[in-house]
Amino acid sequence: MTAKIPQKLEDLPSSEPRWVGKDVKRIEDPKLVTGLADFIENLQMPGMLHCAILRSPHPHALIKSVDASEALKHPGVSAVLTGEDVLKWTNPAMTVPDGWGVYCLATDKARFVGEPVAAVAAISRSVAEDALELIEVEYEPLPAVADAKKALEEGAPLIFEDKGSNVIHKRLFTWGEVDQAFADADHVISDSFRWNRLGANPTETFGVVSQWDLLENSVTCRGAFQSSSHFALGRAATFGLPSNRVRIISHPHGGSFGGKGGARGTDIAALLSRKADGRPVKWIEDRMEYLIAGGGQSWDRFYEASLAVNADGTMTGFKVKLLDDIGATGEGFGAISAAKPLAVFTGNYTIGAAQYDMTLVATNRLPQSPYRGMGPPPHYFVLESLVDSAARQLGMDVSEIRRKNYIQPDQFPYIIPSGNEYDSGNYEACLDKVLDMADYQALREEQAKAQEAGRLVGISVVNAIEPGVFDWNAYSAVGMPGVGVPEGVTISVDVMGSITVRVGFSLEGQGQYTLAAQLLADYFGVEMDQIRVVHADTASAPPHFGPGGSRLGVALTGAILGAAKKLEDKFLAVAAGLMQTEAANMEMVDGWLRIKGVPDAEMPMAAVAGTMLARSDLLPPGMEPCPEATSVWTAPGRAEPDEEGRCKSYLTAANACHVIMVEVDRDTGMVEILKYFVVDDCGTRLNPGNVEGMLHGAIAQGIGAALLEEYVYDENAQPLVSTFMDYLMPTINDVPDTQSAAMVTPSPFSPLGAKGCGENAIHLTPAGIICAINDALAPLGVAAKEIPASPNRLWELIQSADYPQDK
Amino acid sequence: MSTKKRISLSVNGKLLEGEAEPRTSLADFLRDDLALIGTHIGCEHGVCGACTIMMDGQAVRSCLTLAVQAEGTELMTVEGLLDENHQLHPIQEAFIEEHGLQCGFCTPGFLMSTFELLEKNPSPSDDDIKEALGGNLCRCTGYQSIIKSVRLAAQKLQSANTAS
Repeated sequence: MTAKIPQKLEDLPSSEPRWVGKDVKRIEDPKLVTGLADFIENLQMPGMLHCAILRSPHPHALIKSVDASEALKHPGVSAVLTGEDVLKWTNPAMTVPDGWGVYCLATDKARFVGEPVAAVAAISRSVAEDALELIEVEYEPLPAVADAKKALEEGAPLIFEDKGSNVIHKRLFTWGEVDQAFADADHVISDSFRWNRLGANPTETFGVVSQWDLLENSVTCRGAFQSSSHFALGRAATFGLPSNRVRIISHPHGGSFGGKGGARGTDIAALLSRKADGRPVKWIEDRMEYLIAGGGQSWDRFYEASLAVNADGTMTGFKVKLLDDIGATGEGFGAISAAKPLAVFTGNYTIGAAQYDMTLVATNRLPQSPYRGMGPPPHYFVLESLVDSAARQLGMDVSEIRRKNYIQPDQFPYIIPSGNEYDSGNYEACLDKVLDMADYQALREEQAKAQEAGRLVGISVVNAIEPGVFDWNAYSAVGMPGVGVPEGVTISVDVMGSITVRVGFSLEGQGQYTLAAQLLADYFGVEMDQIRVVHADTASAPPHFGPGGSRLGVALTGAILGAAKKLEDKFLAVAAGLMQTEAANMEMVDGWLRIKGVPDAEMPMAAVAGTMLARSDLLPPGMEPCPEATSVWTAPGRAEPDEEGRCKSYLTAANACHVIMVEVDRDTGMVEILKYFVVDDCGTRLNPGNVEGMLHGAIAQGIGAALLEEYVYDENAQPLVSTFMDYLMPTINDVPDTQSAAMVTPSPFSPLGAKGCGENAIHLTPAGIICAINDALAPLGVAAKEIPASPNRLWELIQSADYPQDK
Repeated sequence: MSTKKRISLSVNGKLLEGEAEPRTSLADFLRDDLALIGTHIGCEHGVCGACTIMMDGQAVRSCLTLAVQAEGTELMTVEGLLDENHQLHPIQEAFIEEHGLQCGFCTPGFLMSTFELLEKNPSPSDDDIKEALGGNLCRCTGYQSIIKSVRLAAQKLQSANTAS
């Protein structure tokens, strides 16, 4: 039975919430600012060995032989793992769609540069790396394919020969009378776009300590795991173990953004432990490993897209053809990323018909991994670019064409053609607020003056929906089973009245432990620092998933409030007995159990909990002496998608509107962001500091995507990026001072009206910067259609313009 | 394998000794041999700045410094920011108050770069702050809250100095 939980802040059993909705200090921070948080690299265990991994230098090569005999003789080496071992002891990785997975070490052939081929466990990392040099691998290089389009050609090298083709997945979704919409439209705006590979790059790489228990035949892995229960299932499948023989203990991690990766490293360390008599084996990925072969490459997309528009600016149809280079295997959920735009396919607009033609292809690049936003950021780059092109063609202002097509407040809940339902919003008010904040008219005048002076200055106004509270159900369209992603917590009150909550996830940066403490402190009328939040590993946590898909804030709130309500009901029953009345006459306010309307007839929650544990003789009949409650929350209203992939896939729909002003340097192609304004509406802000923090962080990531970050491969699929000297992360000098403001349109469906907000600005910062660049370049008659819009790309565009260059 | 060298140095005001191979980085030596785990390693090629520490009054990348180069030096790591009563340094307080961190992995490096900046320039402009922290990468915050944190830290240190 699901507990009835508060839907609004006013429903909390608190006379005045002191913590929820306030910008409180985070309880995580003291350990982080002192360097005392137990990041995995800090962990030392008795007898621990260190792992180093030998990786393929070839993008595509048969492995003829692996000779590890000299490495095994090297002093300090305890074990060497090769393809023979993994063939004997493991299964290939599960993938979506099924059947595109490989073993954690290459066995028959290597499919990308950096693919693990062998690994060593030794007394130190340096000794293990020394030993790698003694392993002899005989390769027979094969022709490689680095280009998604070439991978589709007849006679292209096959990544998986048994598949007979490099097409991992191909699907055409059609929603509504889309061909009719295009036939009837006054204008059809079409273009091609390219989004190059980029990705998460958390400041901490992945790390793990795996240990095989040879007596019990079980494995325990400690590390930087974003979704530990999900990870445990994957390990059980790989090792062929019952799932309760895999224990995943998640440590605080230095960021993730979906791109922590780590499955192969975890498995390799575990198998080395198995070979090394069960000693724990630590593997800490270094940055070069992360950049070449880690979990940080996402979205390698070619788009062809069209928008059907009427003369008055009404948009009626949207067609997208996607070719996505998933890389050498399906192990990193690239297919899910490509399918996620179904949740927001037509953005903020009332476009009535749409089509999505997706082709996912394997090449000899690194397998894609998730990254913040998962799939929509490139999709919005396409949609918002086409909307701007339509405005330009119709002579409309870019803000006005958007305003004309918005879903209106009285239309919610609103089902978009691709099936998802948006919960609430007021897009026009959001637009007006950001236009006011930016003083849009004045910005346009400033732009006109700059243009008269020969400067390339442009402005964009873009908007997007952030789908919040992810569920697997949407992804059965690409082969992922399941409906319902649970998040559970257990709240315990001890005999002294102290409150502890166990959660199934660890610290990652979003401040979720603080959120748990805020909710519980208000619910039970205590100070925040009286709440203890602890990580429960997969052996002891209630069903859980953790952060991902902008879900944890909402899901955690649901779980905490559900468990708190169950506890409250227990306390009411016990206190009623102690005070010789009925539970129906009782209430709990600010942590006091009171008889309604009777002054001073009250007991503190701590006394009730203490009585439950110490005086079971005083409990009502049938009541267990257990001041503890577990609640597992999952979003309501989920179902399998229909034959066109349509379903309610995300519970909440946050929205935002950005106004950006940029200048492109005519001589160098460098872009400077002159002004940046944001209004963001993610419903109730449970912790405004956390929300703002994630917003500004996502803007910085979006700037990196738009202007800087790119994993470059040569035509033979050799990666040309291996350090932060080549992969350009945004620095403090690349991110402008951004003015932001909040709108609050609560979700009618979520606990306390909060909407998923963890991914937010990355959905539209890349689109917004490119649209602003193209507004700047419009007088030259050229437009950027490739991300990142690096100086060399823009310089070439400017040079290609049929325009006097000496102005 | 080459033999280990003996290293004597001062860290956070304490005289310490240890042994390291010539190839061992100072970051690894601090973490593995001296158990000073607050110094984090983010890239090992001197770009991200997570491993920044103070060496003889200058901020340095401990991943690009060899342990043997620290012989006879005075180091300060993030652990050295706490006072003798384990109270947070005003810079640490400021980062908490202004949300200058999220995951916290890069934070020790930012704190040490900020420490160096404010030692040399007690009232920095925003441009000074950007100049000083331009070699530290943060993937979470988008930097604005870090700039605010450094401004607040400067204020806190100045009022502390005025008070004393």
